[in-house]
Amino acid sequence: MTKDELSTEIKYPPCKLACPILTDVREYIQLIAERRFEEALASIRNLNPLPRVCGRICTHPCEAACKRGQVDEPIAIPALKRFAADGPWKGRYKAIMPDKSTGQKVAVVGSGPAGLAAAHDLALLGHHVTIFEALPVLGGMLRVGVPAYRLPKNVVDEEIQAILDLGVEVKTGVRIGEEIKLTDLSEQGYKAVFVAIGAHKDRKLGIAGEDGFEGVVSAVSFLKAVNQGENPKVGKKVAVIGGGNTAVDSARCLLRMGAETVHMVYRRSRDEMPAAKEEIEEAIHEGVQVSYLTSPVEIFGEDGNVSALRCIKNELGEPDVSGRRIPKSVPGSEFTIDVDMVIAAIGQAPDSSFLDNELTERDKRIYVEDPYALMTTHPGVFAGGDAVTGPATVVEAISAGKRAGISIDLYLRGEPLPTTEQMEAVETAKLSPALIEKTRKFARCSKISLPAEARLKGFDEVDAVLSEDLATKEALRCLHCFLGARIDKEKCISCLTCVRVCPLGIPTTTKMGEIAIDPFACQACGMCVLECPVRAIDISLDPHSKIAREIEWAISRSQQVEPVIVGFFDLHGNFRSSDVESLRQDYPNILPVMVFGLRRVDTSDILKAFEFGADGVLLAGCPSDTDPFPETADRVKRRMAHARTMLEALGIDGARLEVCDMPDEGLVEKELIDGLIQRIKGPGQAR
Amino acid sequence: MIVATRKPFTEIKDLVSGHRKILIVGCGTCVSVCLAGGEIEVSILASQLRIALGLEGDDVQIDEAIVERQCNREFLVLLGKKKNMTDYDVIVSMACGAGVQLLGDVYDQKPVVPALNTVFIGIEEGPGIWAERCQSCGNCVLGETGDICPITMCPKGLLNGPCSGSRHGRCEVNPEIECAWVKIYDRLAARGDLERISKVLPPRKNSRRAHPAVATHEAYKRRFVKDEKIV
Ligand SMILES: Cc1cc2nc3c(=O)[nH]c(=O)nc-3n(C[C@H](O)[C@H](O)[C@H](O)COP(=O)(O)OP(=O)(O)OC[C@H]3O[C@@H](n4cnc5c(N)ncnc54)[C@H](O)[C@@H]3O)c2cc1C
Ligand code: SF4
Ligand code: SF4
Ligand code: SF4
Ligand code: SF4
Repeated sequence: MTKDELSTEIKYPPCKLACPILTDVREYIQLIAERRFEEALASIRNLNPLPRVCGRICTHPCEAACKRGQVDEPIAIPALKRFAADGPWKGRYKAIMPDKSTGQKVAVVGSGPAGLAAAHDLALLGHHVTIFEALPVLGGMLRVGVPAYRLPKNVVDEEIQAILDLGVEVKTGVRIGEEIKLTDLSEQGYKAVFVAIGAHKDRKLGIAGEDGFEGVVSAVSFLKAVNQGENPKVGKKVAVIGGGNTAVDSARCLLRMGAETVHMVYRRSRDEMPAAKEEIEEAIHEGVQVSYLTSPVEIFGEDGNVSALRCIKNELGEPDVSGRRIPKSVPGSEFTIDVDMVIAAIGQAPDSSFLDNELTERDKRIYVEDPYALMTTHPGVFAGGDAVTGPATVVEAISAGKRAGISIDLYLRGEPLPTTEQMEAVETAKLSPALIEKTRKFARCSKISLPAEARLKGFDEVDAVLSEDLATKEALRCLHCFLGARIDKEKCISCLTCVRVCPLGIPTTTKMGEIAIDPFACQACGMCVLECPVRAIDISLDPHSKIAREIEWAISRSQQVEPVIVGFFDLHGNFRSSDVESLRQDYPNILPVMVFGLRRVDTSDILKAFEFGADGVLLAGCPSDTDPFPETADRVKRRMAHARTMLEALGIDGARLEVCDMPDEGLVEKELIDGLIQRIKGPGQAR
Repeated sequence: MIVATRKPFTEIKDLVSGHRKILIVGCGTCVSVCLAGGEIEVSILASQLRIALGLEGDDVQIDEAIVERQCNREFLVLLGKKKNMTDYDVIVSMACGAGVQLLGDVYDQKPVVPALNTVFIGIEEGPGIWAERCQSCGNCVLGETGDICPITMCPKGLLNGPCSGSRHGRCEVNPEIECAWVKIYDRLAARGDLERISKVLPPRKNSRRAHPAVATHEAYKRRFVKDEKIV
């Protein structure tokens, strides 16, 4: 699919387009905003078998693409994902199991995110999957690489268990290539194999002294030992060489294990550092020192142990093929640091010694014929994840696992494999300065983290999950990209009403006198939809037809508790899902309809409610400090005044229509409801 | 554009009283733009009627329809294809008076009643606000009056003003409004064309305004009219 086709037809929001597995970020964020948390989890989980892992450590390219980022700060997408995935409703997700098994056996080699995702998807397609894992534990780098303070091990275990519960078999402690060769697998009846062995072999530093002394350790083996509870020996003064996530995690682990000083040595500047920005900040906050533009030259030792590291300063030269500037050493700038341990974290490659020349390698990685279909040169053997790409990210590994799932399923059914469908990175379109100016800013939720001293005492998780209040607030910052207004050109009479009422100035007149709405710029406030006199505008967020249907549905469900009141509540209010529950219990006669702003309720809707049999209508708008479009409030008030006049013309007391602001916390004041009920029942009747 | 406003509900209700099957027909042009007779207004009126007649215990059927323009026969014929017009006891038109009448002509077996009051030809002054600007007098003088219509904008309709009741730029009939002739003076002065105001405009040719008026485009005269003298 080309960029142009995408931008004209599919209209994915930027967040979804940026995600390697096309997670429908906008959808689950909207569900969180609607306080439909279980459905939000289902939306994520249907695509991603490891949402709790991703909610913690995903590199979130979605966030970098988020449109809100152009206005103030992007939506805190991973925090919201974690909220949806970690909540008390998490156990209630049920995958849709296949009707029957295909009877086909598939082997997955490696239980990292790539292998797990493939096993999950293949099991749901009815295949019989066995995972072979060299280590005694499952999860790959999630289990033995990423430290517990970022990703608690029980989280990994629980997500893996849910995958195994689909009927996936596991054989741990089996290193394919040793007792069992890759070729043996087909003899054992496996019709296809997915090789997802990751990249676990640390590159050597290539400097003098590297092999001569005790205390020079590879990062992956160090982290593996830490994560498997082996309590490896830790020096007092440690240098960590490298600038990726592995280096930063090694440094932070060292501090937690008693190292007094930890010194990271990185050859380029901070801007080039491949580790996630937040991680670098956390490390520095915890006390890690970083020497940028520095390369190691030689390791010295005393009595067989490391005693010092000699380094040299660099300056940045011309960019290399990857676009990063090549560091060049500055002559005469050598200096020495006293250390008793050196950790090498300068990149990893797959340990492909087991391959026995069965698979082709290129650049020390397993070669696949097509980066989308993932089949190797060996028919029926597929490969993906870090083993193919080199060290990458969890979500890219999951994406590879999912693609392998599709390819293997097609292969087993004898159908042609998909061809390259690489999505080009699409840059988020730019918003005009005028629009940015008009868009109301809302502060991004701040994270709640353990204080540094408490962190260093052990491996407790550093960041806490968002509270319901913060999560809904954050979700309500979403600008609903591509869910906004669309004009039916056949119906539009160019009356210009939409041009007048839009708070953001989105509808414009074209040269031909037609009206156009930029679907990316529109924020789906809903104002124009109801003001258009010929109903030429439709919208995807809370379309008018949905609200009309909900009114009818609410009344049809009413349990005959009188007086029947349809209550419209603005989702932008500060309330919780439990407030809606208690309203339902305390006032079964109130039928709640939740809306993204009272702008979406029309005079005709209010009349419809009465027409269908309501005795009263309550409209509760959010407090003005939470309203993204406060300038529309006046228009809404006038609309309600109009509705009241229309009711009074029918001899219905206009006071049966109550319009109020929501309290600072909660859904609605009790006295207000009681007052409305009182008025409807008439004088002299108590509730 | 033609501007209309909705009649009070009680008046409409009286007009349809006694009927059980009612069709409300909106108009998709002028009165949609002035927010009086478009799709939304049709649905509001329909709800009101359903509630009101329902409260009185009447078992009524109220249907809604919208046509492109009620002042064109073709669109009204099209309406007959979508709705079985013989089904209804009464048709409520939400068009201007012209539309109501053509609807009545096309479906002359049924009573057709108006739901709007047609008020004037005017312009949009602001969102939801309309102002009269033309009385369709058939003898346009705007070329002499700085594009300000004295017939409409002066309550007395004076062709040669101002009168002696002009006070500080305000009108003696209604001090809320500005004197049209002072505005004409100011505009002509601003354009350096003040000479024009001393020209005496001849009395209005009311013959041009013979009712009912018919306007035929030059190029169409031969095709539809035998006697070319008819204008
Ligand atoms: C310290 C560290 C921190 C990281 N932090 C992040 C982060 O914050 N965010 C992020 O997105 N990514 C991060 N990553 C990267 C991420 O963990 C990897 O990209 C991802 O785990 C790759 O998944 P994979 O399934 O390809 O391989 P792996 O997760 O490496 O799994 C491969 C598995 O195969 C097994 N295996 C190997 N050879 C054999 C064999 N012959 N037979 C059987 N089994 C075998 C291995 O034991 C392992 O369990 C981090 C990586 C490290 C090391
Ligand atoms: S504003 Fe919402 S829909 Fe748009 S990119 Fe950000 S998260 Fe996605
Ligand atoms: S309000 Fe409706 S009819 Fe009027 S210009 Fe906008 S889309 Fe067209
Ligand atoms: S939905 Fe709101 S933001 Fe979008 S065009 Fe309509 S009025 Fe403007
Ligand atoms: S019927 Fe009246 S309101 Fe409708 S288009 Fe014709 S002139 Fe305009």
